[in-house]
Amino acid sequence: MLSRIAESLYWIGRYVERAEDTARILDVHLHQMLADPWVGEDAACRSLLSVMGAPIPDDMPLSAGRVVTLLGLDAGNPSSVVGALAAARENARGARETVSSEMWECLNATWLGLPDARVRVEQQGVHAFFAWVRERCAVLAGLADATMSRDEGWLFLVLGRSVERVDMSARLLSTHARAGGSIPSWLTLLRSCGAWETFLRTYRGSLDDRHAAEFLLLDRLFPRSVFAALSIAESCLAELAPGPGRAGVATDAQRIVGRSRTNLEFRGADELLDDLAGVLAGLERTCSQVNDAVSRRYFRATSAVTWVSEAVA
Amino acid sequence: MADLFENYRLGPGWDEMFAAAGMPRDTYESLHATLQPLSSADLGVRADVLARAFLDQGITFALKGIERPFPLDIVPRIIAAAQWAVVETGVAQRIRALEAFLSDVYGAGEVLAAGVVPRSVVVTSAHFHREAAGIVPHNGVRVHVAGVDLVRDEEGTFRVLEDNVRVPSGVSYVMENRRAMSHVLPEVFASTRIRPVESYPSQLLGALRAAAPAGASDEPTVVVLTPGVHNSAYFEHALLAREMGVELVEGRDLICAGNRVAMRTTAGEQRVDVIYRRIDDEFLDPVQFRTDSILGVAGLLNAARAGQVTIANAVGNGVADDKLLYTYVPDLIRFYLGQDPVLPNVETYRLADPDVLAHVLDRLDTLVLKPVDGSGGAGIVIGSQATDAELADVRARLLRDPRGWIAQREVKLSMVPTLIGNRLRPRHVDLRPFAVNDGSRISVLPGGLTRVALPEGALVVNSSQGGGSKDTWVLAAPMGPAESVPELRPAAPHAEPAPRPDPGPGTTSTQQQQQQQQVGGVRC
Amino acid sequence: MNSWRLEILHETGFSYDGQVGASYNEARMTPRDEPHQAVLDARVAVWPAASTHRYVDYWGTVVTAFDVHTPHERLAVTASATVETLPPGDLLAPATWADLASPDTVDRWHELLLPTPRTALDEELTALADEIRAAHRTPHAAALAVCERVHADVAYVAGSTGVQTDAVQAWRQRSGVCQDLSHLTVGLLRAMGVPARYVSGYLHPTPDAPVGETVVGQSHAWVEWWGGRWSGFDPTNGIAIGERHVIVGRGREYGDVPPLKGVYAGPPNTGQGVEVKITRRR
Repeated sequence: MLSRIAESLYWIGRYVERAEDTARILDVHLHQMLADPWVGEDAACRSLLSVMGAPIPDDMPLSAGRVVTLLGLDAGNPSSVVGALAAARENARGARETVSSEMWECLNATWLGLPDARVRVEQQGVHAFFAWVRERCAVLAGLADATMSRDEGWLFLVLGRSVERVDMSARLLSTHARAGGSIPSWLTLLRSCGAWETFLRTYRGSLDDRHAAEFLLLDRLFPRSVFAALSIAESCLAELAPGPGRAGVATDAQRIVGRSRTNLEFRGADELLDDLAGVLAGLERTCSQVNDAVSRRYFRATSAVTWVSEAVA
Repeated sequence: MADLFENYRLGPGWDEMFAAAGMPRDTYESLHATLQPLSSADLGVRADVLARAFLDQGITFALKGIERPFPLDIVPRIIAAAQWAVVETGVAQRIRALEAFLSDVYGAGEVLAAGVVPRSVVVTSAHFHREAAGIVPHNGVRVHVAGVDLVRDEEGTFRVLEDNVRVPSGVSYVMENRRAMSHVLPEVFASTRIRPVESYPSQLLGALRAAAPAGASDEPTVVVLTPGVHNSAYFEHALLAREMGVELVEGRDLICAGNRVAMRTTAGEQRVDVIYRRIDDEFLDPVQFRTDSILGVAGLLNAARAGQVTIANAVGNGVADDKLLYTYVPDLIRFYLGQDPVLPNVETYRLADPDVLAHVLDRLDTLVLKPVDGSGGAGIVIGSQATDAELADVRARLLRDPRGWIAQREVKLSMVPTLIGNRLRPRHVDLRPFAVNDGSRISVLPGGLTRVALPEGALVVNSSQGGGSKDTWVLAAPMGPAESVPELRPAAPHAEPAPRPDPGPGTTSTQQQQQQQQVGGVRC
Repeated sequence: MNSWRLEILHETGFSYDGQVGASYNEARMTPRDEPHQAVLDARVAVWPAASTHRYVDYWGTVVTAFDVHTPHERLAVTASATVETLPPGDLLAPATWADLASPDTVDRWHELLLPTPRTALDEELTALADEIRAAHRTPHAAALAVCERVHADVAYVAGSTGVQTDAVQAWRQRSGVCQDLSHLTVGLLRAMGVPARYVSGYLHPTPDAPVGETVVGQSHAWVEWWGGRWSGFDPTNGIAIGERHVIVGRGREYGDVPPLKGVYAGPPNTGQGVEVKITRRR
């Protein structure tokens, strides 16, 4: 498969996941912010922007509306919901003969709907917009699942999705760690992952911080947990890599992900939760290292070369 | 019920549907019969479905950076089998002559020595690329794909307007139009035998594989080279790559080292044998042409020269579709093939001769003036529709650069009913059939792209100038044994009906609950 | 006949301000084998090592194409050749002005009658061409007169112009190198209706050079015109083409026969070197 196409698929995976997760995070946090009269709007907004890695404007007090604009609707920023969807579509446009027509049509139709996003927010409220985004992302995931053959392209798409999921989940958990455990309560976190009911069933209603963090970080069965996403990324990388030699694994990316996964798996929940901030920072580092390693190995030199002419008499 | 054809007036061109007011020609009878009873609302709904489908699938072309759909008119254009036979023969004959000409001008130059075409025409052509001299394609083919633009004149005769043997585009619309039309006008499809167009990608792939250099494997690697997503024809590039099952590459995906071309894949570099390029010559290879090109592949031309890769269409083909050379094509057909041209040209004046130039300048307002290397209708001046200022401007340009222009008689292009608002109105059309040359046979895709000028009276039919397209139906010959249109067979009856799908547990319990309630009901 | 045997070593290349990752080049540095010039041996070597591909271009020049993919700060191309050359033959050319004006001749040499970017003339030069043409009975005499005039009026000053300099510029400053004098001459010849071409090659600097002595020579350029047959002249030195000249390529102008041109990806080009050594062996 062409390196450039592989790169596009990887980024389609990342961008769509980013759009969905950002929509989920914003939806729940904004709701929380408005519903809880004791939350300082400005401080909560700043915390949210900082966790999402967005630049924080200093010029004025921040409002929920401003955050929606920055993280939700800013078409020029590939980390906003609208920007990520547009970027995903742009990548798909360059890989159109590889993604299935149905996936392309879904992404394209979503993109065509984006100009209406602001109107939708104004008329129906942010929740309706975020619900629409979640739904489009789900349709897309479903179409990918139903129409893509399980070849290299699929592996890169899922790899991108998983890496982004690890990154976003780590950021999500950070919203809790940074806010000192109060503002976005665990309930909020679990809700934004769509994990609330599963969590209740698993822990039979015993809601406390440690259980919630353990669930989001380590649950083997819940597909949005960090551990599950890392495991999927690891298996994608294993399938992509050439056969292993007699010692260790074949590629840098496998090493990085594997180390991170075993770290979660074998350190024990208590130890991890005592050092949650450190663990989360480590996960974010892992994501950027994996990204670099994958790019180096599979997406080499796909940018255009600028030629200079020369001549001697 | 309002009549779709209300106030439909014939002329000024040949009307393809009507022989006389209200009298459809044979070829259009079935279509006319289908359309006639429809209300404009019915047709409008179908037209909307058609437009929406194109937009969602991203069947667009980019104009000035904005993606627009290429409007597909709901009324198809129909060509009878006998007429098509003429087009098919004529187009193939023309391509054969142009192939011979290209091989000659980049080789021995016999046609020049014989004085059939003046050297001055060739060496002053902007697309005569001396860099291509000495590159000999392995199977002799330089025009793997051609699009020949035809019009029907006032008598209904097909005439050639121009040849396109560089990177002709538009075939994707032929395929997509057909798909879309079969969804919105199924009743006409059912009653008419239309020759299919979906085999084009496999024909093209066959021709590209046949062009592979000597020494390539039995399954040569073919790629489609696109300038990228921002190119106006990107949709087509992607469609062709997808339907041929080959990679769609950009220049940056390819690397040329030691005259071998490879694409960068996740598993390392993979050899490429044939490049169906949709990039203009000037941008193809920064070593030979524009150094500032970031779309091309450095070293490509020398790799082709070394016989390690085939570039399709070949570099330098533009010398054969220069509009001044066009005036010599009938002579080329006689010179190389010893035949008379099947399809006539449109009457054209060469302006290098001062007497001809003077004659043309006297009657600019009755002629069509075309720059020789303009494509897509760019720069064309239609004398009868031009303002005085435009005529003065074109006069000055003709005087400054007579080699750069030709003058043609203004042909009133033929017309086909087209949905304008909520009525059908005659609009001018042209036709671009596509031909594929695999070295042993030139196949002309039955149909081609019919472009329609949507503004009333407009004669320039181009996507960039307010044009739309029509699905083009070539009717199957009624008795043609050569034509293998499969007989419609009724579906084989099942020996026994298939078992019902397994029911889930929920359905059973609901039924039981209902039964229990019914039982209870009786008891009360 | 007094033929000479010349051994030529032509070294050229580029240096860069850092590592260049890839470069694609074409060298036109191989002498032509033709009736007045026999090539006994010719080779082109490239450093860093690269495989080379040789072909003959539209103008009949031997081209050595190569690409380098090993990172390098310096690219060197070395062409060596051994060539036998002949003294000037007779220069007579039979064509009359009427012959040159015949449609057949005009068409046959059409591209050698058209101006190119570097050979286009201004009004002053066009008037000069008309004047010289009017003063001579035959095209051949007029052509020689053009060469003499350029030789007399335009001084050869090394380094006074660059590769992009055109004929008009050289005429205005009344100085230039062999390339400029040749462009000017070719431009004037074409303006008179005489088909003319630009020739690139080498020149041994010394008449009656001793055998066995290696001297510093140079890449050189001169002109040829059609007067019923092709004749050549060296307007820079005001001499006929003879045993000291070695022909490499012909074209409409310099742009058709550059000794080395190419493209590369990397840091700025910091310099280029050219050195030609010529030894008379016989």
